[in-house]
Amino acid sequence: MQWSWLHILWVGLQVTLRLSLYTIGFSVVVAAAFAVASISRWRLVRWTARFVVDLLRSIPILALLIFAYYGLGKYIASWHVDPFWMAVGALTLGEAAFLSEIFRAGLEAIPRTQWEAAASLGFRRTSALARIIAPQAVLPSIPGLVNMSIFTFKDSSLASVIAVPEVTQVANQLVSETFKPLQVYLLLAGFYLVVILPFTALAGLAEKAVTRYYGLHVDKASIARN
Amino acid sequence: MTTGEITSDLLHGGVTTLEIAAGAWAVSATVGLAFAMARDVGMLPVRLAAASVTALLRSTPQLILLYLVFFGLPSLGIDVGGLTAAIVVLGVADASFNAEYYRASLITVPRTQRDAGMSLGFSRLGTLTFVVLPQAMLYMVAPLLNSFLSLLKTATLASAIGVPEILYRGQNDMQLTGHVVAVIAVVIVLYGVACMPLIRFISVVERRARERLYT
Repeated sequence: MQWSWLHILWVGLQVTLRLSLYTIGFSVVVAAAFAVASISRWRLVRWTARFVVDLLRSIPILALLIFAYYGLGKYIASWHVDPFWMAVGALTLGEAAFLSEIFRAGLEAIPRTQWEAAASLGFRRTSALARIIAPQAVLPSIPGLVNMSIFTFKDSSLASVIAVPEVTQVANQLVSETFKPLQVYLLLAGFYLVVILPFTALAGLAEKAVTRYYGLHVDKASIARN
Repeated sequence: MTTGEITSDLLHGGVTTLEIAAGAWAVSATVGLAFAMARDVGMLPVRLAAASVTALLRSTPQLILLYLVFFGLPSLGIDVGGLTAAIVVLGVADASFNAEYYRASLITVPRTQRDAGMSLGFSRLGTLTFVVLPQAMLYMVAPLLNSFLSLLKTATLASAIGVPEILYRGQNDMQLTGHVVAVIAVVIVLYGVACMPLIRFISVVERRARERLYT
């Protein structure tokens, strides 16, 4: 192992962090839209949203990445889209589906009486959702959001398969130059650990705090992993 | 290649995907249980070791674990094939998640059951195996189904080390034949047909288990 490896991997890690942050940002927006649609009063909207979410949850994220790069790439080659943005798009679709389930669980955990109270005060359904219900659902969703962010960060390593120069791809190149896979990949695992472990601790703390304040446990056992 | 040939090629890949997922599932269920039991009844060093190994496994991307075993271990003289590497690595990585769900289900059994078991002369391990585990099993069904669902999808990572599962073949077909839309459609339909009913079924099982727990 040489000190230059650290520097090379650090450059890749910055791309990984950028990729993860964009993905998390866009996922929150897309997931919020899905979550609101999936509790809509209109059956057609509700069913469509749930179908799309279930379908996205069924497709491996690696498949989404390959489809975007090798499939879609053929048709939009003239647009010169950077693989980085294809990866952001594919990862966002994959992660948003799970995040929307966390948000939906958060919205559904708000007691019916809150809706009724808002209605009796003259709030319309949309403004009741925006001003009364959604703000209460934000805090209980935070542990799930932190967890999903960790998963996004880990999953961003898949973007190496479509030639995004993030840290895993950089490590692959280093391996092909040095022929030392064991050392390089162990170091790479170390890079991921250093970023993830503090967030894991944070997720644990957030979950404890939320469980204590609300006395409820937003159920994410089914979605935290896939 | 016609669309029919592509479909049959992808179906063959699907069989390999199922093999990986089923093999890794078996590994995950047993190794996960071992991790959970070690954390439950082991001596302090064993407990700490199990806790840190699972935490490390959970914090490393599966792709890198796969590269470590497939590309890294041969330099130590341990050479396993792609299929075996995929089954073992994906299974053990998933076990680190399963261990947490096993632990959570063990907690649902009241403490008094353990005291009762111990007072009947069972050892700590005996109490766990014969008194606590059988009562906790109900709450393990949903996590184990979830584990299979998850593995069906992570099995695609095996394509990165050249195992001819569905995505590996799909990628080749796309590049060789240019029938991009056909490949994407077949893969999405196959995954949708396999996973969407499973997702619904799991949420029913989960609701049942939760109702039982809180009533």
